[in-house]
Parts: sequence; structure tokens; C-alpha cells
Amino acid sequence: MEIIKAISIGALFGIGLYQLLRRNVIRSAIGLSIISNAVNLFLLSIGAYDGVVKAYAKAIGQRSDALPQALILTAIVISLGGFAFVLALLYVIAARYRTGDSDEVKGLSH
Amino acid sequence: MLTVPIFACLIGASAGAAFTFIPRIRSIAPRALGWLLAIAPGTAFVAIASQFPRVVEGEALTWRTPWLPALGIEFAFYLDGLSALFGLIVTGIGALVLIYAGYYFTPKHAESGAELLGDASAAVHASHSSTDARFFLYVLLFMTSMLGLVLAGDVITLFLFWEGTSITSFLLIAYKTKDEEARSGAFKALFVTGGGGIALLAGLLFASAISGSTDLTAILRNGDALRSDAWYPVMLGLIAFGAFTKSAQAPFHFWLPGAMTAPTPASAYLHSATMVKAGIYLMARLHPALGNTPMWFWLLIVTGGATMLVGAIIGLRQSDLKSILAYSTVSQLGALMMLTGEEAPSAFKALAIGVLAHALYKGALFMIVGIVDHETGVRDLRRLGNLWRAMPWTFLVCGIAALSMAGLPPLFGFLAKETLLAAGLEDALPLLTRIVLPTITVLTGALMLAQAASLTLDTFVTRPGAGWPASRLGTDDARDKPDLHAHEAPAGMLLGPALLAGLSLAISVLQPEAIVSLLAGAATAAYGAKVKVSLALFHGINLPLILSSIAITLGVVSFALRSPIRGIPGAAALNMNLLYDRVLRGLDGAAGIATRTQAGRIRAYLAVILTALFALVIVFGELWRVFDGAVLPDASRRLLDEPFGLQSALRAFGLLLAVAASFVSIVIRRDLLAIIALGSSGLAVAVVIALEPSPDVALVQAVVDTLTLVVLVLALSRLPRAQRERAEGLNGGDGQKRNALLAVAGGAMVTVLCLYAFASRPRASLVTPYYEQNAKPLTGAADIVGAIVVDFRGFDTMIEITVFSMAGIGVFSLLRYAMKKRETEHLPAQGEVELKVKDRQSWLMPATIRGIDGVRTSPFVRALGYVALPLAFVLAIVQMVYGHDQPGDGFTAGVTLSLGVGFWYVVFGYDEAKRHLRFLRPGLLIGVGILTVMAGSTAPVFLGGGFFSPFDFSAALGLPLPEGFYISTSFLFELAIALVVLGAVIFIIDTLGHPERDLE
Repeated sequence: MEIIKAISIGALFGIGLYQLLRRNVIRSAIGLSIISNAVNLFLLSIGAYDGVVKAYAKAIGQRSDALPQALILTAIVISLGGFAFVLALLYVIAARYRTGDSDEVKGLSH
Repeated sequence: MLTVPIFACLIGASAGAAFTFIPRIRSIAPRALGWLLAIAPGTAFVAIASQFPRVVEGEALTWRTPWLPALGIEFAFYLDGLSALFGLIVTGIGALVLIYAGYYFTPKHAESGAELLGDASAAVHASHSSTDARFFLYVLLFMTSMLGLVLAGDVITLFLFWEGTSITSFLLIAYKTKDEEARSGAFKALFVTGGGGIALLAGLLFASAISGSTDLTAILRNGDALRSDAWYPVMLGLIAFGAFTKSAQAPFHFWLPGAMTAPTPASAYLHSATMVKAGIYLMARLHPALGNTPMWFWLLIVTGGATMLVGAIIGLRQSDLKSILAYSTVSQLGALMMLTGEEAPSAFKALAIGVLAHALYKGALFMIVGIVDHETGVRDLRRLGNLWRAMPWTFLVCGIAALSMAGLPPLFGFLAKETLLAAGLEDALPLLTRIVLPTITVLTGALMLAQAASLTLDTFVTRPGAGWPASRLGTDDARDKPDLHAHEAPAGMLLGPALLAGLSLAISVLQPEAIVSLLAGAATAAYGAKVKVSLALFHGINLPLILSSIAITLGVVSFALRSPIRGIPGAAALNMNLLYDRVLRGLDGAAGIATRTQAGRIRAYLAVILTALFALVIVFGELWRVFDGAVLPDASRRLLDEPFGLQSALRAFGLLLAVAASFVSIVIRRDLLAIIALGSSGLAVAVVIALEPSPDVALVQAVVDTLTLVVLVLALSRLPRAQRERAEGLNGGDGQKRNALLAVAGGAMVTVLCLYAFASRPRASLVTPYYEQNAKPLTGAADIVGAIVVDFRGFDTMIEITVFSMAGIGVFSLLRYAMKKRETEHLPAQGEVELKVKDRQSWLMPATIRGIDGVRTSPFVRALGYVALPLAFVLAIVQMVYGHDQPGDGFTAGVTLSLGVGFWYVVFGYDEAKRHLRFLRPGLLIGVGILTVMAGSTAPVFLGGGFFSPFDFSAALGLPLPEGFYISTSFLFELAIALVVLGAVIFIIDTLGHPERDLE
């Protein structure tokens, strides 16, 4: 299972990366979202316990590790905020340079 | 006691800052300001002079306080004869310069009131106005630095103040900030002296490393160790480089004439009397430790001698009064540097005399030039002339100072030249130098005399244009111009130069005991052994006197022949400025190479950054070790051992779904479909998380993923259709292979990283068991994850929701700014507003409602919208109330609510949604939310609980609630989180969903 997980996370990351590097800015945004999903999955998977029951006080059996869950719970929400901010930036870029193509964003080169 | 002078200057500088920046007192007259601020250096002067009796006895006073004790660096001051001489010059001339500057910055028309018409200088000076307190601020800051430099008792302290003088010098040279020449001159000076400063620091660090301390006295004591060290040549080279650049030695002298763009009081002070002597001071200071070696001798002799001659030759050709003085200063600095190199008591006697004599006459002459400039508006020697009638007193003072510069008896400058000659004739010197040095000195002396005479006579006595060949007069022939409107300077302005020139005369005539002992003390400190000083003018007919006479004769001849000499073409080939320009251009070229690698494409930068990042992770994470044997076999064994049951199969399926959906988002052509693919990928991830099993996170992931979808669709709809379609067509194109390669590499790296992490993660957690055991007893929460979020790590969460609200506000302000212009164009007319007010009264929507992007929505979907929002509210409240024991929490509640709101925007379109949901004010929601957290977490402190600790308010306040219900901090926290998330998301949806179709 761990190998499948590792490969899947790697694949998600790679796909996100590919999207991020594309010229179409909307695809770049999609790539960012995929990458954050991959990272969250990774964080969730490195918990100490491979639980079989949910992390509740009353649950009986091996509980899943609550700590990474608590950490990524807020991370997911925060990444939404960051994502929205990136979208706003992309929008400003699109409005300023009148394009959805990141290669046409001028003013960076000398 | 030693800190008094520094503090006096600092207080003066603070007063200068006050007069610069506080508007109410800014309008003080410059004259009053000058007199007032002169108190500071005056006090410092007295403070140093009061230590005088102890210092001349050869005693060195020290004061120290730890600065960086771990590095053994102290903030230390040190006062001996050499420091005292320089300190007195710095503070004494400083006071005079401040007084003088007050008059210099007073506009001329304010004095005479009648000279406004046709006089360029009046306009120039009027533009200075009353804000010239800035100048006083800079000068006082410089004074503090310079004083600190000469009083420093620790080489790091010295370096600090050294750099301070470079920076304040920069500020003063560029004082007329609108003048291009001033800016380039200032940059040039900073470039040269700053570069020297870095070398100096390196050299001083060498010296302190060898002697084992940064303390000056320790370094001075360890001369033998320093001189015999293998690093001595490097150390001396670095220190000398610093000193040469600062003291404008050839070939670094070119910055000093460029520095003449500074206001003349600053030139008089910094660029002749004090700062440029910092290099001389440094070498004299370190002479007992580093001197007395062949390298020291030849380095200083050659550099100093060359500088002396070069400065004198170039100076004669200058027509600008300040340039003449600048080059003669260069020449004099060369002479002083040369003296520092000569290994004899007589040389250090000549050094002490030369430093003081030059400061006196050159300071006076600079101020005189400033007066001439101030009164006539002209600094060009070719246009000046005949001023003695109008300005007799100025002429007199100028004459005395010029006589001293020319080295004529009975002035102090004569003594300086005599001792300089005598030092060059010392028997101890090699024969070659005993011939070359006096020859250079005689030539320089002659040229100095010619320049001093030209400066005085061509300004005050001869007609304009005299002494210049026709070829140098050019079309701007001054002789045709009407006479200059000159007036005698006010007495206060003449005070400084008169006092300095008078001292030049009085010291050599009266030979006061105090001055003699001061000079002896300075020479002794610099030489490292007792030096006797006498100021007797006449020692009988000896070689120096004969050489001096030759110099005077030659000087008179060259003054008479100044016109033909100035006509010799090409004599100014010694132009270091060309080299400087070339060096700068070379630097620019190197920068150009770096710039060319910047393609200007965002993706290219990103690719470079990511490649570098991967390389770092692989190298420093030692990822190859995963193949070493331990990790991979272990993981694969576990794969085989692990029962691949239903849950594993489901997980694998979820992961496969997530990857496949993400992959679809690549290959699919339309953006909207790609976004939907992203959404399914996120939901698949939620499934995987749910199978973990971690229902709370899965819930959040599901709702956030949906909201992400909504936000993306809103953002997409804001981009103009044509742009979108053009961008969609870009799926091919260049760089795709590189991107694919990078993506595969990145994916592979992350896979390896994951394997590594999974195989090596600790199987026993240190923290989680604590949370598991204490969640219920301490917080009353059955849901451990929820307990961690709002209780155990509550402070963290509070900051996180603040960050989230910042993101929302950021989106809002960013886009509001971007569309501000169009907003104002779209302001509704009066009638429209009334119509909207009427509309508001009916809750029913108009029949022609269109959803987002102008899509007509079906009545069924609209009905869903009506139902969804109240449902979302109910759901959110349930999640908040039961969140502690069941899946769901404030985040989920907030996002759920936001989804309901977002649905409205999508279904009913921006205007309608905004109109009906006006009660949801995002700023208010965020504010109330954050205040609730703060109040909820601090209130328990006053009710007997702890900060951010779980607390049952209902019990504490005795609220009658039904059985099983209670109001705890965690409930307030959940509520606050929900409010903040809702507020921020509304900001985001509201701005991203704002309709706008005129972008194309």
C-alpha cells in the first residue's frame, strides 16, 4: 500500500508541476491546487499510526494519528485562501497584459 | 570624559535633525542656526582641549565599553597626541564651518536687498530657502563620525566611524540632489572610498587576528608580531588601499575634484581639512605597529610623491576655483602620505606641522572661494577679476592664506614646506630618494606658489581673463561681460576664514607653547618615539632654505608664464576619470551578461527555480540512499506482508481516481472541463482521506474542494472569452518537452521522498498519545482532531484564521485596486439608485435573472438556490454545536455557509446575489469572528480559568441550559472560525464574481 501511495503522490505532484509550468494561467492555477492536494496527502500519510478506526475518544482499536490530521485540516483551508489570492494575482496579470498566456507577460526582461 | 566630544556632536546632530524635520522650527534663519549649532563642536573642542595637559605628557586616555563581548569587540575611545591634534582640527574648524555655512545659505538678496535683477546667484541661492537645516544635519553627522574615527580605540569602532564619514560625505556631495553632476560625483566618491573601506576592514581584521585583539593599544603593542607575520604584505596592502582611496592618493585621486559639487562649506570641511586626512591619520596611527619596513617605505613614498606632483601639475590648469583647491589638496595629501612613509623623527614633525598648516590655510581658502561664489555667483577664474575694490577684507584674508599655501615666510605654510624639505634630505634615507624627493618637493612648491598667486591675484587684482591663453577662454569671453556686482561679505561670514588665516600667521610668528607641545605630542604618537618640535623660522643658511628659495623663484617664474603653460595641449592626460568610466562600463557589461540569462518568461524562471530546488533536495536530502538497500526492500516487504483487504483496495482505487482525474485536467482542452476534472480529483483525495480514516479532514477537503471549484469558475468567468480561448489553444507550444521532463523528474523525486519518509517514519508518536488521553478529560471533546484544532493548538488556529482573513482581504483589495478606474465609470445615475431601492422592497426576483457569465438558469436550479442557503445555515450550526463529538468543525461550517452563498452568486448572478445578501458584510464577519476568539480566549482568565484553555462559560455564569448543552471556549472558537471563513470567502467570491466584460 505504501508503494502505491508513494507513487500516487509522486504522480499527483508531477501532474501538478506540469500544469503549473504551462502557458495558460488557468492551468497554472489548477496545477497549484493539485500540488497542494499531493502535499496534504503526503503529510497525512506520514502519521505514526496506520489507524483502522477514526481518532475519537470512544473508538476502540488502533486509532489513526490525530496530529497530522489536525495540521492538514487547517492547511487545507489556508491553501484555499492562498489559492484565491493567486487567482486574484492571475486576474490582475490578465487584465494588465490582456492575456491569459504567461509568456506574453512583458516587462520582466531587460 | 572621552565620550563628551562625541556626545556633544551627536546632540548637535540631533538638533540639526530637529530643525530639518520639525516643520514649526524649520523656518529658523540659517545664520541663527549656524551660530546655535556651532555650540556642539565648540563644546567638543573645549572638552578635548581640557584633556590637553595630560595628553602632551605622552599619556593616552582610554574609555571602553563591551560591544560584542562574544567576539571580543569593544566600543572604545582613545586619546593621545595624534588624536588630540586631529580632534581639535575637526571640532575647531567644524564650529567655524557651521557659523560660516549659516551665512553661506542665507540668500544674497536678504543681505543687500538690491541685487535681485540680472544676478544668477541670487536665484540659485534663493532656491536654497530655509530648509537648509538638512545641510547642518549632514555636517554634524559627519563631524560625529570624523571625531569618532580619530578618537576610536578599537579598530572595529574605527571602521564604523570610517564608513560613517564616507556615507555623510556622499550625502553632502550629492546635496543638490537635482544636479546630475552632483549625483555622479557623490556616487564616484562613495564607490572609491567605499571600496577602500571594505579593503580596510579586511586589513584591520588581519591585524586584529594576528595581534589577538581588536583593541588599538594591543595592536600598537604587537608591532613586531605584525611586521614579521607572513600575511603582513596583504594586510598592509589592504589597509593602505583603504587609506589611499580615502585620502585621494594617485591613482584614486579623481574622486576628490568630483566631490566639489558639495556646498562650499562642506568642501572646506570634509574635502580639505578633515575627511581626506583620515587616510593620513590611519597610516600615522598604525605607523608604530606596521611601519618601519621596506614595503611600508616604498609604498607610501612612491604613492605620496606621485600624488604630490600629479595634483600640483593638474591643479595649475584648472579654471574653476574649487577645482584648483581640490587638486592642490590632492598634492598636499600626497606630501603628507610621503612623510608618513619616511622613517625619521623630522618626517613626523613635518607631518604634524603639515596637517595643521594645510587645514588652516586650505580651510580659509575654500571659505574665501565660497564667499566669492556667494557674492558674485561666479567661480570661474577666467571671468573673475578686479574684486579687491569691492571686497577688500576678503582680499586681505585670501592673501594671507594664499601666502601660507605658497609657502612664503613668515607664514605657517613656509614652515611646513621647510620641514618637508628637511625630512626629504634626511641622511637615513636611500640616496635615490634623497635626490628625487626634494626635487619633487621643489617642483610642487613652485607650482603651489603659482597657483596660490593666480588664485588670489587673478580673482582680486588683474582684469578678467588675464593669465589665460586665448585658446582656453573660448567663446564665453568674460572680458565682454559687464562687471560683476560684488559686495563685501558680512563680517560673520569672514570670521571663519579670517580666524584660520590669522592662525596661519600667528602660529609661526608667536610660536605659542601650546601649539608646539600639541604638534610634538602628535608627532611622537605617530612616530612611536619622542619627537622634538620647534617652530623657529630661521635655522641659518642651510640646504632646505636654499631649495626653498629655488622653489620660490621657480614659482614666481611659472606664475608669470601661467598663460602659456595653461595653453599646452594634452597635459591633462593623467585622467583617471576615463579609467573609472571604463571600470563602471565593465561592471555594467558583466551585469548585462547576467541579465541576458533572464528570458523574461515566468515559466522559464519557475523551471529554473524548481530545478534548483530539486537539486537541493536530492543533494542535501541524500535521496540516493533510498536505493542503498534498507529502505526499498523494507517497503516492498511490507507491501507483500500487508493484507490487501477491502480497505486497501478502496484506497488504491481512490488514489487511482485522483491521479486519473488530475491527468484528465492536463489533456482536456477546455478550461472549464479541466476545472471540473480538478474538482473530481480533489473529491477522490477526500475519499482517500476518509478511508484513512479521518472523517473530519475528509469533510473539510470535500467542501473546500467544491469551493475551490466555485472560485475557479468565478475567476474563469472574469477573464474575457477571447483571451480564454486564445489561452486554451496554447496547449502545444514550446517548452512542453522540458516541462514534461521536469514534471517526471519532480514526480519521481517526490515518490522517492515519500518512500523514504514512509519507511523511516517513527512508529511511536511522542505527542499524539497525550492528545488521545487528554482530549476528553481536559476539553470534553470526543473528537481528538477537533480538540487539537480548537483547544490544544488554539493559538495556532487563531493565527491561521487571521491569515485566511488576510487572504480574503488581500484578494478584495488587489482586485478593487485593479478595477478602481472602471468602478468610478460605472457609478449609477440617480434614477438607477431609486429603482434599486424600490426593487429591494420585493423579495421576488425579476423574471429575467441571469446566472454567472450571463447563463440563463432554470427555475428548478433557482428554487434549489433558495433552499440551499437556509439549509447551509442549519448544517453549519449543527456542525458547530456537535463538532466536538462528531465530524465537522468551524472550518467545515464556514465553508459550507460559503458554498451556499457561492451558489447564489452562480445561480442568480452578481447583482441579485449581492442585493439580497447584503446583510452578509464580510468585514463585519471577520471583525466579529476575530474579536470573538480573543474575547473567548481571554475571558476565562478573569473567570478563574486560563488563557486559551478550555472553559465552560455556561457553568461559570450559571446559565440555565438544557441538559447536555454547554457554552465552552471551543464552541466560541468554532463560531469564530466559521464567521471568519465566511467573511473571507465572501470577500473572495464578491470580488472574483464581480461582473466585468469590457476587458477585451
